[in-house]
Amino acid sequence: MLLNGLCQQTTQVNIALVVDFNNNSIVLQDSVYPLQNGNIIKFETLKFYLSNVQLFQNDAPVFTEQNSFHLIDISDPITQNISIELTDKIDFNKIKFNLGVDSITNVSGAMGGDLDPTKGMYWAWQSGYINFKMEGSCSTCLPPNTDLEFHLGGYIYPFSSFQNIELNTNAKSNFKIILDISQFFKKVDLTRQNHIMSPCGDAVILSQHLSKCFRVK
Amino acid sequence: MRKYPAILLCFILSSFVIKESLFLVPQNFPKPVYDFSKNPLTDHTILLGRTLFYEPMLSRNNTISCESCHSPFSAFTHIDHALSHGINDSIGSRNSPALMNLAWQKSFMWDGAVNNLDMQALAPISHPTEMGSSINEVVEKLNASSIYRHLFYNAYNDSVITGEKTLKAISQFLLTLVSANSKYDKVMRNETSFTDKEANGYLLFQKNCSSCHTEPLFTSSNFENNGLPIDFVLKDIGRMKITANPTDSLKFKVPSLRNIEYSYPYMHDGRFKKLSEVLDHYSHGIRSTKTLAPQLKNAIALTPDEKVDIINFLLTLSDKEFILNSKYQYPKRIILRGEGFE
Repeated sequence: MLLNGLCQQTTQVNIALVVDFNNNSIVLQDSVYPLQNGNIIKFETLKFYLSNVQLFQNDAPVFTEQNSFHLIDISDPITQNISIELTDKIDFNKIKFNLGVDSITNVSGAMGGDLDPTKGMYWAWQSGYINFKMEGSCSTCLPPNTDLEFHLGGYIYPFSSFQNIELNTNAKSNFKIILDISQFFKKVDLTRQNHIMSPCGDAVILSQHLSKCFRVK
Repeated sequence: MRKYPAILLCFILSSFVIKESLFLVPQNFPKPVYDFSKNPLTDHTILLGRTLFYEPMLSRNNTISCESCHSPFSAFTHIDHALSHGINDSIGSRNSPALMNLAWQKSFMWDGAVNNLDMQALAPISHPTEMGSSINEVVEKLNASSIYRHLFYNAYNDSVITGEKTLKAISQFLLTLVSANSKYDKVMRNETSFTDKEANGYLLFQKNCSSCHTEPLFTSSNFENNGLPIDFVLKDIGRMKITANPTDSLKFKVPSLRNIEYSYPYMHDGRFKKLSEVLDHYSHGIRSTKTLAPQLKNAIALTPDEKVDIINFLLTLSDKEFILNSKYQYPKRIILRGEGFE
């Protein structure tokens, strides 16, 4: 056992999570980001759960992270990196993960770590995790709701917003996963919808859009 | 070397015995719903949870504790108040439910908004007209308290206070609130017998009420529309608020009838002060709407004598030992010491 443990080499793979806006980094509070229709938006909060990280080689699973829940928070650089330990000689050409928290975890009571309800990602009035939280302001949103508030979550059919994401990669070691928020806003009609605070059909549709805004670099 | 497995076995057995004695399933009860394996009960954690239950620091201005709306003498509800009261004398939107036998509950709140006992406390802590705080604010205050750091250390072998530990400790105390020693239970265990009126009330109850208020917990845990006319001020649509499904309109969770003598007023908005008013509703007050419980399509015909007998039976669900249990009361030894009284 001991010898085996000593001989077995492990490789660390760092997956950097980069959330940007059309290749511009996102700075909370101050920076402004233009949308196509003259609207200008700012961000105050941007955080989301990335869970169940798995690596595949030609559709065969070669690595599955245990207890895999990551709260990626733009305000905290430490959260924007996922390190995984691979045993030597594992090749992979695909990563699969989920955007959000699965339904079983949603009904399993109080959790710690990134799932602790003090992380601000749990609805108090109705049980369930917020999978994706984006708050800010938009210049064309009309009073009284001038804020940008997308709290996307929900784990019960027909309002499950949990998403499967699959990305191909030819990386041999460290790589980046990029979430381009500008792509998300191409699918959002802010004149109709700038506030989502509960599980609903729009939350599901926007979560689906969001899942298509990830790419590997 | 060989004695180690034996010691280990003794240790496992003894911890099992301790765990068992902290929570016993009454003989006429089903298997609990709560997953104790994720939150194994210990004396220290139950005591911590009990202290938190009576802790006004859980509210924004340190005035309201869980006990404010859930007092032991009323089977852990707030009597004489139709709607719950919160910080700054604000009034909530629903009648606070009695707390008991929570280990058997599948969902919480009148509309089932909460899916696990652990997460229940988040709702009143955050509600602007209840405690008006947040779990973050609560955890911050607790971390600044040497008494609580000590209590958390005793419970978890770690004095760093988190949301998870706080919520799980509250659950542990709530899980111990088992009411199963009413006269009804004693009759079921053949330790005593009903009076004639109680026995007749029991028969009438089984015929007319038990499909929703199912024994032995006296609730089916389902959501039903029991024909209450909607309150035009509160406009409470019940379960539909959670599911957005019109078939859930005006449905509320069937409450347990255990300890109903102590837990007036009745219904989700506390509109009835007396049990006789409740029975009058079922005999001639039902408002028929699309989602009305099928069992109530025809009013429950009861003579005045029959109503009296049913009430006599309902009073056998009172569990005096439950409301007087010293293990549930204000933990003054801890809280007063924390305030420098000892």
